[in-house]
Amino acid sequence: MDHDRLSRSKLDYHLLFLLFLLAIVSAIAIHSAEPMLPEKLQNVNFASKQLQWYAIGAVVIALTMIIDYDRLFQIAWYLYGFGMLLLLGLELNVPGSVTIKGATSWYRLPGGNFQPSELMKIFMIIVLGRIIVNHREKYPEPTIKDDFKLLGKIAAAVLPPLFLLAKQPDMGMSMVFLAITSTLVLVSGIRWRIIFGIVFSGVAVVASVVFIYFYFPDFFHRYIIEEDYQLNRFYGWLAPYEYSTDQGFQLIRSLMAIGSGELYGKGLGHLQVYLPEAHTDFIFGVIAEQFGFVGSSIVISLFFLLIYRFVHIALESNDLYGSYLCAGVAGMITFQVFQNIGMTIGLLPITGLPLPFISYGGSSLATYMLAIGLVLNVHSRTKKFMFASEE
Amino acid sequence: MKRKKRAQVPIRLNVLFFFVFLLFSALILRLGVVQIVYGEDYRREVERTQDEVVSTPVPRGKIYDRFGQVIVDNTPQKAITYTRSKTTQPEEILAVARKLARYIDIPDAEKKVTERDMKDYWILTHPKEAKQKVNEQERKKLADQGWTQKEIDKKVYEWTLERITKQDLAQISKSELEVIAIMHEMQSGYALTPQTVKSKGVTDREYAVVSEHLSELPGVNTTVDWDRKYVYDKTFRSVLGSVTEEDEGVPRERLDYFLARDYSRNDRVGKSYLEMQYEEVLHGKKAKMKNVVDKSGNVVSVEPLYPGEPGKDLVLTIDAELQQQVEQIIEQEILATKRKGRSPLLDRAFVVMMNPKTGEVLAMAGKLLQDGKFVDFAIGNITSAYAMGSAVKGATVLTGFQTGVLHPNTYIKDEPLYIKDLEKKSWKTMGTINELTALKQSSNVYMFKTAIAIGGGVYRPHQPLHLNPAAFTTMRHYFSQFGLGVKTGIDLPNELSGFQGQSKLPGFLLDLAIGQYDMYTPMQMAQYVSTIANGGYRMKPLLVKEIREPSADGKEPGRVIKEFEPVVLNRVDMKTEYIERVREGFRRVMQEPGGTAYSYFANAPYKPAGKTGTAEAFYDGPIQSRRQASTYNLTLVGYAPYNNPEVSFAVVVPWATQGNSDGINNRIGRRILDAYFELKMKRTAAQPDEATGTVQP
Repeated sequence: MDHDRLSRSKLDYHLLFLLFLLAIVSAIAIHSAEPMLPEKLQNVNFASKQLQWYAIGAVVIALTMIIDYDRLFQIAWYLYGFGMLLLLGLELNVPGSVTIKGATSWYRLPGGNFQPSELMKIFMIIVLGRIIVNHREKYPEPTIKDDFKLLGKIAAAVLPPLFLLAKQPDMGMSMVFLAITSTLVLVSGIRWRIIFGIVFSGVAVVASVVFIYFYFPDFFHRYIIEEDYQLNRFYGWLAPYEYSTDQGFQLIRSLMAIGSGELYGKGLGHLQVYLPEAHTDFIFGVIAEQFGFVGSSIVISLFFLLIYRFVHIALESNDLYGSYLCAGVAGMITFQVFQNIGMTIGLLPITGLPLPFISYGGSSLATYMLAIGLVLNVHSRTKKFMFASEE
Repeated sequence: MKRKKRAQVPIRLNVLFFFVFLLFSALILRLGVVQIVYGEDYRREVERTQDEVVSTPVPRGKIYDRFGQVIVDNTPQKAITYTRSKTTQPEEILAVARKLARYIDIPDAEKKVTERDMKDYWILTHPKEAKQKVNEQERKKLADQGWTQKEIDKKVYEWTLERITKQDLAQISKSELEVIAIMHEMQSGYALTPQTVKSKGVTDREYAVVSEHLSELPGVNTTVDWDRKYVYDKTFRSVLGSVTEEDEGVPRERLDYFLARDYSRNDRVGKSYLEMQYEEVLHGKKAKMKNVVDKSGNVVSVEPLYPGEPGKDLVLTIDAELQQQVEQIIEQEILATKRKGRSPLLDRAFVVMMNPKTGEVLAMAGKLLQDGKFVDFAIGNITSAYAMGSAVKGATVLTGFQTGVLHPNTYIKDEPLYIKDLEKKSWKTMGTINELTALKQSSNVYMFKTAIAIGGGVYRPHQPLHLNPAAFTTMRHYFSQFGLGVKTGIDLPNELSGFQGQSKLPGFLLDLAIGQYDMYTPMQMAQYVSTIANGGYRMKPLLVKEIREPSADGKEPGRVIKEFEPVVLNRVDMKTEYIERVREGFRRVMQEPGGTAYSYFANAPYKPAGKTGTAEAFYDGPIQSRRQASTYNLTLVGYAPYNNPEVSFAVVVPWATQGNSDGINNRIGRRILDAYFELKMKRTAAQPDEATGTVQP
């Protein structure tokens, strides 16, 4: 029986099955969103293109699984350096960089535009995992000073790319990076005191900014946020009916689409409310309008099960680095799902983040597949012992 | 080496998972609030705010001639439109159509209705009987075959259509036909795009009544559409081009191009020539408004979203009056020659007149005789090419100068040549002449000998001739500097660059030298003679002088947005002295006794210069049985006055005669120049400031 367990296939079929279901949801949702797209996009069959991207993604997964993730540990800093180079290229506007709606975030590639920050997310997880593991080995019994040291190292690795992202500007992506960092700080084992301290000071900063906004608007507009359009995001979120900003308009549309879906939805193919970016950022609205609360809850549950698998694999792994990788991926996808769905139902301000695995988009899907590949890699190289020994 | 885990990691991972759980719970909770608690409110909101964005067409830009005469205008046309949503059911369309039928009259409804329309209508209005057409068993059979409901419904509908009898359709009354005709229009085209239900002949009364009842006619709207009106009717029509009809919409093959520019599928766009070339200028931006409706669907207010922008106006370089006269002259002269009964193949003639100094095209006329009627073929000036004959000899002489085989005042003996057994000669033997006489009397042999020298050959009577094939390239290179055989650069689509003979046998070089090998367009001939008239500067022919803002009051022209400056395409790289020699030769053609056009132009007060041409050609026209029949093209190029040219012209009459003499080219040439100078005099006398050819703002 031992023998049986040891030689068991190393693929996590639960995870793959969930991925398969998400692909189906994605194809159906994108296909049903197609009639709503602007006329110039009418002739593109996005659903079948998305499935092609899934096929490419499957290859990405397979490639990721070939090499042991321990090798990634070794080349972590090279990957990080490569990602930074790509981001720096955008900052310097090298030829081939593309600016869309004021944000220089893409490179033009033969197959379409490529967003290097997508890749950098994964590299970030790989690098932060290594930093934490190295630190833990150096200080098996960390003092509070060691914990701060670790925090400093993490900050030193995260801030440069974060700075470049903020300059693009890409607020959504910056937040994803923060989410990844927070997750890894949480699982790194830094003392709760310090974590609470950080959370508390974060809350304090936000609170004081809000306070300044209401009581010292002049100071606020001069030193904190100069341009009104940056605030529109918040106006549109908090009071969409009063501020007819782009974001407010999008939120109203999205709420109407989702709300009018009610419990059971209007049925496949019955879309009444025009949604902007229906096949990408607001794909969830398309699902919720057609399939109602029941259908959209099922989609959310799929994501929840997916994250559950990630955490499960992280727990199963008897290697610290493997656990960190899984935790980082879990944090990244959780945040993006929460942010994307949250913005469509008014829980969070609107940013241009797609819904992982569902929204149409080749380069982002490829990134998530890369992340899945990492997790599967960790899983496949986890040895199972009947009597695992804890030290 | 695998790193060992610490006990705290599982705890932290569980904490992480707990956070994930909280976040997802928050999502589900909030989703429940939006969809279940407030779901009904949102649904109602969706039902009532079907905000209708209505686009109102704006008038297309007008086209004026160089003196501000309107050539292309717009006439407003009231229209009743219908826009259906993606979910509109046939029953709803029927209800609207029935109401609409009470307010508007559709003439000849029965002609517009197809049998299919009637059957669809019958099924809609006789649901019970329609259902009986396909019985339960048949339906069940389909279901048993594993068909989906959709496929079954489709098949059943097909069967029902087939089984509707004449008697069934006889139930439809005459008054219902109007409803069917209206439905037919309403259902055509695309959802969310306004479809015209009635546009021609909407009476004021109908317009007013429908406007009043818009609230009970969901999707219906009244607008003012614009119809294109070509003021001078057929004059110059082929160059002006045309716009698509509404049911044509934007051209299929360029759909993406237009959709990307915010056009609707049924927008009318320029589909040929000037209307197409300047589509971006002429097409305005549609006004957009939003109909705000209350809960019961009544329009409360109309919110303008975008005020729209009428199209911009074009001011052409064309002189409409001159153009009209030139067209008349062409028609009269073609008929005059035809009447002599010896020109069976003659069916067309072209004239281009331009200002040689600026390249502005003053008139561009072409007429085609079809079944006894003339149609406009002005566009043939750039889309058809012919052998032009001796008119190109100016270019040959200049090529001779430039290649060094000729010098000013070179004497050559004009005598019949015998290449082996083939005799090649001028229309008469002229003896030893210089290039001035060669041009004046149109010597072929002078040109042949020049070409032989360019080709490095030696002429020996009755011997074969050997020439360097590279001479073709050399000659064509110099010809192209005058615009012969290359695009003239006129601002119209589909310009032809002419036809080049492919063979490089020596004999053809001789033909090339007298304009009987390569074919050129009439516009190229005009550019060629203008380049000579203009001292060697090849100008790009201009058709559009200015782009202007639409006129505010419909009378005064609007502000100038863009003015088209003369464009020098190239300077012929030849000495001015050489060009002067050719110009002198051209002058002698028209003003010295013995010149080939002397009899027609000797008494012209405006002192013209030019060159005639007669090309042996092969018929290539519409009469199939006569294809390749031998015939003669008559041409004339020139300018006036010879010493300070203000107008240059090319006359091309393909397949004019069968060898008999006929001066149609010269008659047209004389009359168009007369017309030009008479108009000029008339205008100078009437309004001195207008004669400069600019519109006074």
